[in-house]
Amino acid sequence: MTLKKHVSDNKITIVIQDRFDFSIHQHFRDAYCDCNESGSEIIIDLSQTTYMDSSALGMILLLKDHVDKISGKMKIFKPNEAVNKILEIAQFHRLMTIEK
Amino acid sequence: MSLQLDKVRIKLALVVDDSAMQCKVLSVLLKEEGYRVFTANDGARGVAMYIKYQPDLVLMDINMPIMNGYEAARKIKSLSKENSLCPLIFITSMDTDQAFIESIDAGGDGILVRPFSPEVFKAKIKSIQRISDLYATIKELQREQQADAELAEQLMADVIEARNYALDKIGLLKKPAALFSGDILLTALSPNGNVNALLGDFTGHGLRSSIGAIPLAETFRSMTKKGFSLIEIITQINKQLYHLLPADLFLAAGFVSVSSHDESAYIFNAGLPDTYIYGANGEIKHKIQSCHPPIGVLPNLIPEVSLTVINVLPDDRIILLSDGIVEAHNEAGEMYDFERFEETAKIGVIKQDVSNIVLKSVDEFCQGMPQQDDISLIDLPCGGWEQTFVFNPHHNVEVNELILSESDLLASATWRWELGLTGERLSRVNPVPMVMSQIQEIEGHAEHWQSLFTILTELFVNALDHGVLNLSSELKNSPEGFTEYFTERENRLKNLTSGFIDIQLAYYSLAQGGRLNIQIKDSGTGFNLEEVEKKKEQLKDGKIQLSGRGVEIVEQLCESLFYRENGTLVEASYIWTS
Repeated sequence: MTLKKHVSDNKITIVIQDRFDFSIHQHFRDAYCDCNESGSEIIIDLSQTTYMDSSALGMILLLKDHVDKISGKMKIFKPNEAVNKILEIAQFHRLMTIEK
Repeated sequence: MSLQLDKVRIKLALVVDDSAMQCKVLSVLLKEEGYRVFTANDGARGVAMYIKYQPDLVLMDINMPIMNGYEAARKIKSLSKENSLCPLIFITSMDTDQAFIESIDAGGDGILVRPFSPEVFKAKIKSIQRISDLYATIKELQREQQADAELAEQLMADVIEARNYALDKIGLLKKPAALFSGDILLTALSPNGNVNALLGDFTGHGLRSSIGAIPLAETFRSMTKKGFSLIEIITQINKQLYHLLPADLFLAAGFVSVSSHDESAYIFNAGLPDTYIYGANGEIKHKIQSCHPPIGVLPNLIPEVSLTVINVLPDDRIILLSDGIVEAHNEAGEMYDFERFEETAKIGVIKQDVSNIVLKSVDEFCQGMPQQDDISLIDLPCGGWEQTFVFNPHHNVEVNELILSESDLLASATWRWELGLTGERLSRVNPVPMVMSQIQEIEGHAEHWQSLFTILTELFVNALDHGVLNLSSELKNSPEGFTEYFTERENRLKNLTSGFIDIQLAYYSLAQGGRLNIQIKDSGTGFNLEEVEKKKEQLKDGKIQLSGRGVEIVEQLCESLFYRENGTLVEASYIWTS
């Protein structure tokens, strides 16, 4: 398993190691779907992610839907160069905060 | 619907044991479980019996003459058909770890150590049969899925992509990772002679990722055919896919419209790797980066993102690609990447065979590594799309005979149609496809409507650009100016709050064919008619101008073309014979 979750107050950090692809979609969903408290913040920590594919982009969009529904906040944290390139091509900075 | 024949059919079991006594005991127990039983007393005979009867279950002793149980098991497992498991259980009195490990290594699905009670034996048989049934079910589902995918693939190839335009001139490359690709390549011809192309990459691949393919192809084709502009088509497709697809499914796509008439390309990259424009000598002239999130992510396109307009030469080539090419891996884990692609595409452009040369290069690089993602590419030439209009040679003769006085014409119009657009609506609504669809609804579909489309488009765009938006066509006289012109046009359109354009059509049925009078009035300041005429005379034998060609074509297509009311009203008359 390459996904870790840290919770503090109403902040959830999801750390994804190595590959971010469809194989972790269930774990990824489980990490946030119980979080229904309005104003929660969800951080996707990509600092240890080496690869991301388009289904990962889809998973992030599902998370964004969830965050919007509970009026929460989300951000993507420290993607490496290769991963950032994929986010850039998909122009995700127009949809959410990406902290480099 | 699947038939449950297996449940009814009597199951066959094969017992291989050199002890006739053991064979007898096991046979009795198996018969009690409803099996029909065959026996063999050595491994070699066991294999022969297996081939002959294709049993559903094999029980195998280990120590036997001629061929031992392990070897027989290996042979049987190598013979068993791919779609059936045929479970094999070793029956032995060797209660050692070694025997257990070797049994499984030889392909055994289980081991039963003597002595055992009949109950334990039957339980073991039941459990192994359960696994075997599960295996059969999975195989059946896999077969069904394969059949579905093949059907979908056929639909995609025969219905969607076979209808693409100019397959002889546009290079298309597509190599799906799964049978049914998530990538889609579309090309279509607009009535104004522009060629539209789309390279789309749905999230993931396989059947799930292609549910959007049919509506996407339909919208792209029908809107292109009706003459909607590229941005209108993209806006509509985005809206459609946003409503149709679940949140995690979307389309990374590149859209291109090439106009030989304007010598320009309109490009929109939403989530694909850079789109390239190569010159004839293989030099990269432009790279157009993704400027918008993929299609279907947002309910509406981001307003401040617009098309990139680039002047192109007829020998230039536009290359769209999906990420499957640059992300292809070799055994060492290296990516094919952009550098290799750009070098290979350069050779491809020079040799005029981009798609095959790129495919070959990617294949050689990957050296048989399994393909992770769909590979696709469009190689679109920028020239050779000039429209050939058929000018009716009988026009002049017949028209002279048919001309009636103005009042007669008004009285006898078969139908009339009018549309007035004002202010902000002018920047959002393109009336030409609406007009065309009205005409076709009333008069039916015909080839010559293409000329009418060109007339209406040219006249409407002139009224909008030079009338309402007050843009000077002088700007268009240089290639740089053309881009500047387009940017300024976008700007003024966005901030448009006043002004109007009225379109009036009157249709007259003639004995053979018909006549359409078109009047377009704009709210602009007009222009000096005499000066324009004078300029035209001066330039007649001079160099080709970038502007004014539209009006020239309209003049050739129409029976008559007049500007009135200081140039703010244009009247055109189009006649055709059937």
